[in-house]
Amino acid sequence: MKTTIGMMVLAASLCAAAAPASAEIAVIVNPKNPATRMFSEQAAQFFIGKSALFTPIEYTDGVAIRNEFHTKVLQKDSAQIKSIWSKLVFTGKGTAPQEFKSAADVKKAVAADVSAIGYIDKSAVDDSVKVILTVQ
Amino acid sequence: MKHPMRSTLVAAILAAFAMSAHAADGPTVTISGFGTAALTMSDTDDAQFVRPNQVAGAGESVRTGVDSNFGVQATAKINDSLSFTGQGLVRKIARDHYGAELAWAFAKYKINDDFAVRAGRVGAPVYMISDFRSVGYANTMLRPPQEVYGQVNVDTLDGVDVVYQHSFGDTSVTAQLGFGRTKVNLASGANVKYSPVTALHLVAEHGPFTVRFGHVVADFSVYDSAAFTGLYATLNRVGQTKAVNDFRITDAKGSFTSLGFTMDYNNILVQSEYAVRKTDTLVVHDTTSYYAMLGYRFGKFTPYYMYANAKQDDARTYAGLPNVPALAPLAAALNGIVKAPLQSTNAVGVRWDFYKSAALKVQIDRVTPRDGVGMFVNAKPGFQGPVTVGAVALDFVF
Repeated sequence: MKTTIGMMVLAASLCAAAAPASAEIAVIVNPKNPATRMFSEQAAQFFIGKSALFTPIEYTDGVAIRNEFHTKVLQKDSAQIKSIWSKLVFTGKGTAPQEFKSAADVKKAVAADVSAIGYIDKSAVDDSVKVILTVQ
Repeated sequence: MKHPMRSTLVAAILAAFAMSAHAADGPTVTISGFGTAALTMSDTDDAQFVRPNQVAGAGESVRTGVDSNFGVQATAKINDSLSFTGQGLVRKIARDHYGAELAWAFAKYKINDDFAVRAGRVGAPVYMISDFRSVGYANTMLRPPQEVYGQVNVDTLDGVDVVYQHSFGDTSVTAQLGFGRTKVNLASGANVKYSPVTALHLVAEHGPFTVRFGHVVADFSVYDSAAFTGLYATLNRVGQTKAVNDFRITDAKGSFTSLGFTMDYNNILVQSEYAVRKTDTLVVHDTTSYYAMLGYRFGKFTPYYMYANAKQDDARTYAGLPNVPALAPLAAALNGIVKAPLQSTNAVGVRWDFYKSAALKVQIDRVTPRDGVGMFVNAKPGFQGPVTVGAVALDFVF
């Protein structure tokens, strides 16, 4: 009995370690991008189609960091974001962001495009990208 | 007319695919689509509830054709400046079967970060939500209120437009000016040619608030209307040439001016439009129409309430004929033509975002026609409102 409980506690703590509830999110751009700092509201406008100055890079539906970013930075739920982009796409005014499955793919896409803007877990940041905003 | 359109669309899509096939780092093609599968019914068989310009609509038995549609859009991005977009739309309009239309087919050239020019068949920005009114998923309500969205039946323009987008601090401004022409088939079998059409669309967005102003002016003529050909022959025969001019359907001029407002703040949703239509022919009436929607987002559920109304601004009787018994039947006919359809609607509904990329809506409308049959069609003699209309719709995008 004791071992079962011990195992459950261990399992629970492992889960917690694997998916930290509130990791820090780093908003990243290409190192050649002249931008150095950005407020949360400024970064958000690219991901909801209000500015086309930078090209947003997104995650596919179901990736945990996507929901977290939408809630914390965009302050909308994913259905609202989907509705906003469907408006822009079907009015011919915008193209929905490219979507990737992992932080590695997002980093690669941002490193390849001078105007790209994306976001990854802070622990995944390396020299291929530049951090312009960190969100708790 | 329909078949050449359909094949043009197919050709455009094939061309788009072909371009993507032979240029790995060149053009990128994105295909996206939207649709609504809906059931609509009302509590009477004495008249049918329709969307603008539909031939037949919902009565006591459930119909799919009123609110259902399906659209596919392909965009080929050639480079940072140039792109091609085509959109095909399937729905029931003007005829009582589903028909495919080439909704849009335009080339867009981005001049700089602020200015873009589009040429080809572009959406006509007559209303605030003109461009995405067919995309149920992008809207809170199940359908745009017909009191306002039934006033002008122009959906697209064959021509050019210039789009300007710029952010001034926290306020982003979009200005769109379009010139073009279009032909619209009517439920009666006649058709209207609008040429030229000039459309101005101004939008200012500031945080959760959007204000929109629209102004469209057009010259229009109706063709192939047996009813009007007969009417003119009769009027000319009895020497009423002034009436022929008052009721003319060629080279008429009209304008449509509207002001819209939306808000999405702390889960409170507001959407409203106020519109004024003016023309110089008594066949198309001067009207004022408006609606206001209020909704509240509880997580994945958004209940809403909407009120809409259409009023007539010019006279509902025609005084231009001599008051003699011999002309009484003709006067009755003309008095019928000068009456705009009047009605108001109270609607409640709920949108449920039950799945990613899909939403389910239920909406109940209570429609009250005034002094006539309102915007109902195929009304039986003696039909009187109000009518309760219910609809369930599944909206999706892909």
